Amino acid sequence: MSESRWLATGNFFTSYKAEQRIFLTHIDRLVFICFMILLFIWPLFFKVSNRYMLVIDSILIAIVAVYGLNLLTGFAGLISIGHAAFVGVGAYTLASFAHVLGTNHVLITHWWPLMILVSGLVGAVIGGIVGLPSLRLKHLYLVIATLSFQMIFQWAINFMQFFNQGQTIAIGRVFWFTGKVVRKQHYFFWYYVILVIVVILGFAARNLLRTKHGRSLVAVRDNDRAADAMGMHPGFTKVYAFALAGFFAGVAGALHAYLWRGVGFESFTLHHSISYLAMAIVGGLGTLVGSIVGPVAILVLELQVEHFAEWAGHFFKAIGDVATAFRPLSFGLVIVLFLMFEPRGIANWWRIVRSYFKLWPFRY
Amino acid sequence: MSYFLQLVISGVVVGSIYALSALGFVLIYKSSRVLNIAHGQIIASGAFITYALTVFMGIHIVISFILSMVITFFLAMSVERVFLRRLIGEPIISVIMVTIGLMSIIDGLIYLTPFGSENFSFPEFLPTTPIAFLGASISWTQFVGVIITFVMIGAFTWFFKASTIGISMRAVSDDQFASMSIGISVPKVFGLAWATAGLSAAAAGGIIGNITGLNFNVLHSFGIIVFPVVIVGGLDSIFGAIVAGIIMGLIQQFAAGYLDGHWGLNGTADVLPYIILLIILLFKPHGLFGIHEIERV
Repeated sequence: MSESRWLATGNFFTSYKAEQRIFLTHIDRLVFICFMILLFIWPLFFKVSNRYMLVIDSILIAIVAVYGLNLLTGFAGLISIGHAAFVGVGAYTLASFAHVLGTNHVLITHWWPLMILVSGLVGAVIGGIVGLPSLRLKHLYLVIATLSFQMIFQWAINFMQFFNQGQTIAIGRVFWFTGKVVRKQHYFFWYYVILVIVVILGFAARNLLRTKHGRSLVAVRDNDRAADAMGMHPGFTKVYAFALAGFFAGVAGALHAYLWRGVGFESFTLHHSISYLAMAIVGGLGTLVGSIVGPVAILVLELQVEHFAEWAGHFFKAIGDVATAFRPLSFGLVIVLFLMFEPRGIANWWRIVRSYFKLWPFRY
Repeated sequence: MSYFLQLVISGVVVGSIYALSALGFVLIYKSSRVLNIAHGQIIASGAFITYALTVFMGIHIVISFILSMVITFFLAMSVERVFLRRLIGEPIISVIMVTIGLMSIIDGLIYLTPFGSENFSFPEFLPTTPIAFLGASISWTQFVGVIITFVMIGAFTWFFKASTIGISMRAVSDDQFASMSIGISVPKVFGLAWATAGLSAAAAGGIIGNITGLNFNVLHSFGIIVFPVVIVGGLDSIFGAIVAGIIMGLIQQFAAGYLDGHWGLNGTADVLPYIILLIILLFKPHGLFGIHEIERV
């Protein structure tokens, strides 16, 4: 029986290898390739103002960060409310280099891919350290560990002279083969860089979850005793999940620093941690599609909230900035409503649509 | 010596308020195994309700203090009814995330009121001359606050130890199915746990508001410091929360008094509890008085 790789009406796998394919059908792959091409060429045809390009770049950075959070919360089942601090670790790694070596040192402007990697690794190390209590604990306590890391991070940034006490530390403009990336091309250039990183890390995460090391995360989440009996060490697996999340967050932080050309304290507060969590929940915990859809949904929502706040500001004269009130309010509502009514997130809608078309035109 | 005594006194004052704040958290954890991340926000809303009743509506502060406890009692109960009752039986991880969402929602609601951005202070109703004591001094507000705190803690301990509802709460925390089979309504107990937690939170908020003035950031930090307190004390131990609260208050005051300004350190009082928390999690994860669960990792 020759199986059709174009259409699949059901799961007829005859080997584990077939089950573990990234693209189950050729159509899946075709759709994916078309989508990728679209993502890469659209900026050449549509001119977008810098303001919106910045939003799009921020969405992509958030996707990188949420990959990490989703691996931690979705796949390994450990809640983190300190993810913004991990992102901040990456950003401040870069900032420390800039602080010590000088804003426009060659390492920062020319060797930026290396710097992004280094930030990721530092994030991984710090993530692993914060995750160390998981060697002895059930996951509930780890929420508190991540929260306390968030508080320690905020203190370190705000009170230490080395980090400029939370004031902005500038990062120089980077160089590409064609020379310095000037102001006009800045957001455009970083769109492509971040897009490439998103694609690479997306495939990395997908492939990781096909291997022993990725599936051990899921095993430990689902039943740690069974995982233990299967020969995995639940504690180390959790520490390693923290390190993974830290790596993704660190990369996101370095990208954030380069994109904004500076690092300031205000981008890594507890509110940001909660909004990362909101992204992961809304997108769908435990799915990679979710970590792409979630940031898009939340940041578009945030834009809308800001528009709404501008309009609603006329009614709330008593308070200065209505957006600071509506942002946590809307994020909180979104988290609670999704957990109550659609715990599997937007990715579940995508799954439903896909399974409809899988059998189309038949109903079942 | 009098400096040391002063630090001890203010440490005990702050610490007993921490203990009262942590009490509600422990109550919820003990009966339903939910880590209520939004507890600080409940404390803050209790404080703001007290202030609004006292100043905007002109009710006497003692009455408004009690009224705000009653209001927060029902508020917390309805929070449990609306948001958490549906999640009974869901994995505990999503329940915790719901409380994170609640924290964000209440934050947003508070930012919508003037309390989110401005500072308020309660009108003075006690004598303003501080009580001198062996060269150290304690203000009347602090003194009365500490006394109320200890009375509340005593009342809660009695409630938990001896009253029927308290015993049924302990039964539920021990085994839900067994307590259902002897006729305890588990959802009702959860609701009551939240309600009493709200009540104690409102009391804590009112006292903090009177001592430090109303600033949302300050109240917020009081809410987060609950975590080091409960972890050091042991998540499910009321006595542990009291001891750890006072220890935390003392540590913070000593850090602020002796560490700040030396070796380029600043604001150590804000960070030391969390460092202690991480160390305790690493080496003694069940805290000083927590029940040592046999299952690990």
